[in-house]
Amino acid sequence: MTPLDLIIAIVAAFLSMCMFSTLYGKSSPLYALAEESYIGFGTGLTVVVNVLYIYRTGILGIKAGNWVLILGIILGIMVLFRVHPKYDYIARLPIAIALGAQFGLALRTTIFTGFLDQIRATIVPLFSGDAQTILYRWTIALCVIFMLTFFLYTIELKGPLKWSATIGEYMMYIAFGAIFAQTFMGRLALFVGTMQYLATPPWKKPILVASMVIVLALLIALDKTGLLERWTPEE
Amino acid sequence: MTEERSIARMLAEIDRRIIYLLLFIVVTVPILRPVAMPLAVSPDTKQYYKVLNALGPDDIVLFVLDTEFSGYMEIQSGVLASARLIIEKGAKMAIACSHPEATGIPPMMFSYLRDVMKRYDYKYGEDYVVLGYIFPNEAAVASSAQDFHGVVKEDWQGRPIKGTFLDRIHDWKDWSLIAIFSTGVRSDAFIRHYGLRGTPMVINCIGVMIPTTKPYVDTGIFKALLPSMRGGAELEKLINAPGPGLAAMDCFTFGHYLVIIFIIIANIGYFGYVRRRAER
Repeated sequence: MTPLDLIIAIVAAFLSMCMFSTLYGKSSPLYALAEESYIGFGTGLTVVVNVLYIYRTGILGIKAGNWVLILGIILGIMVLFRVHPKYDYIARLPIAIALGAQFGLALRTTIFTGFLDQIRATIVPLFSGDAQTILYRWTIALCVIFMLTFFLYTIELKGPLKWSATIGEYMMYIAFGAIFAQTFMGRLALFVGTMQYLATPPWKKPILVASMVIVLALLIALDKTGLLERWTPEE
Repeated sequence: MTEERSIARMLAEIDRRIIYLLLFIVVTVPILRPVAMPLAVSPDTKQYYKVLNALGPDDIVLFVLDTEFSGYMEIQSGVLASARLIIEKGAKMAIACSHPEATGIPPMMFSYLRDVMKRYDYKYGEDYVVLGYIFPNEAAVASSAQDFHGVVKEDWQGRPIKGTFLDRIHDWKDWSLIAIFSTGVRSDAFIRHYGLRGTPMVINCIGVMIPTTKPYVDTGIFKALLPSMRGGAELEKLINAPGPGLAAMDCFTFGHYLVIIFIIIANIGYFGYVRRRAER
């Protein structure tokens, strides 16, 4: 462990616990400190990495004789006019070009990946494969039919159609439950991963525990003395 | 009856800070004091392992860190276990980022894998290259699928990639596999410009992405899906290399038990107090 590692561990643990201070249920200057620090760090890093990217792909490319890249640089500079109230209209052109290119690139293929291939994957043989495969395929086929009938809006749902739509509705509830469970698992994983980062290797554990105690003690002290609200910057 | 109703009311009106605090304790304690709960391996992870295990020394893998730093915490175990397996199989690896924050991940990753890289004599330039932030948008992904060297000429430190194993890469068909580690920043672009053309792809994604990513496994665009941190833990178990994933599974288990308990409590509170009050 070097002194730099120690400083990084202390800052990371303290700021993370400051972030978690939002769970206290009241706005706090500790949370504001951590939030603003993160925004500052994130913005700084994004600017540096992107400037480096522009230099490597744009400037060096132009130097190597790829003159068409000048057009990209000019369009990029035009975007910067957005900050000037009088000339902000100039930024619309490069933004429109970027959006158009993005839509063109994405829509051309989304029709296959998001639509046709998905339909093709649903139309599968229902009587081949092992028992588990057959069960999966039947489940998918039936769920698709039931759920599609739920979304029939132009005719009155009566008899078997109504039954199918009702079953489809309940299947969607089951799907929502599964999605919620996956989401919870994901959020828990984010928290666990962060805590692991703060507690590994083992020499970081006392720093983590100390940060927890200090932040909690600070929160309670600030709350009791009425400083919690006074010291929290306005949004 | 009155007593029952008061218990139900108490359960319905639990201060949410108590819930946060209990969850915080239940998740943090196993990190400080691991318990080592048993873990079963899911078919998804077995399939993912099968795809990576089939790699050989002639294969080149595009290892895409499609994540910001906070999201990385969830897929860290999958990233580390996958990289370890690729190194053990001797396959070549080109590491690319599609988010500025992901540029900080490769040094941490190789620092963790230092021992296994030394054991397999896995060398920079010969076996792996860190390309850095090369996929800032869909246009970059689309261009790299058609003319890789037209988009990427240097590694992250400005050294030319010419003369490395990447000379064998020209377009989408030259990659043996694209392994995406995603929080959803740019993975759709890879599906559209590589997966659709037929480049074999696998993905390790965060939990909230699983329901929207799974259909692409059914269509065959992804050969396998490693789900969230749990998948990473299962992969660690399969390759017999315990890491952050397996260590986190205790927290997952206790956290999930606690949420099930809270769901039961909330339902007792709802049916015993909230709904009765609304009916009255």
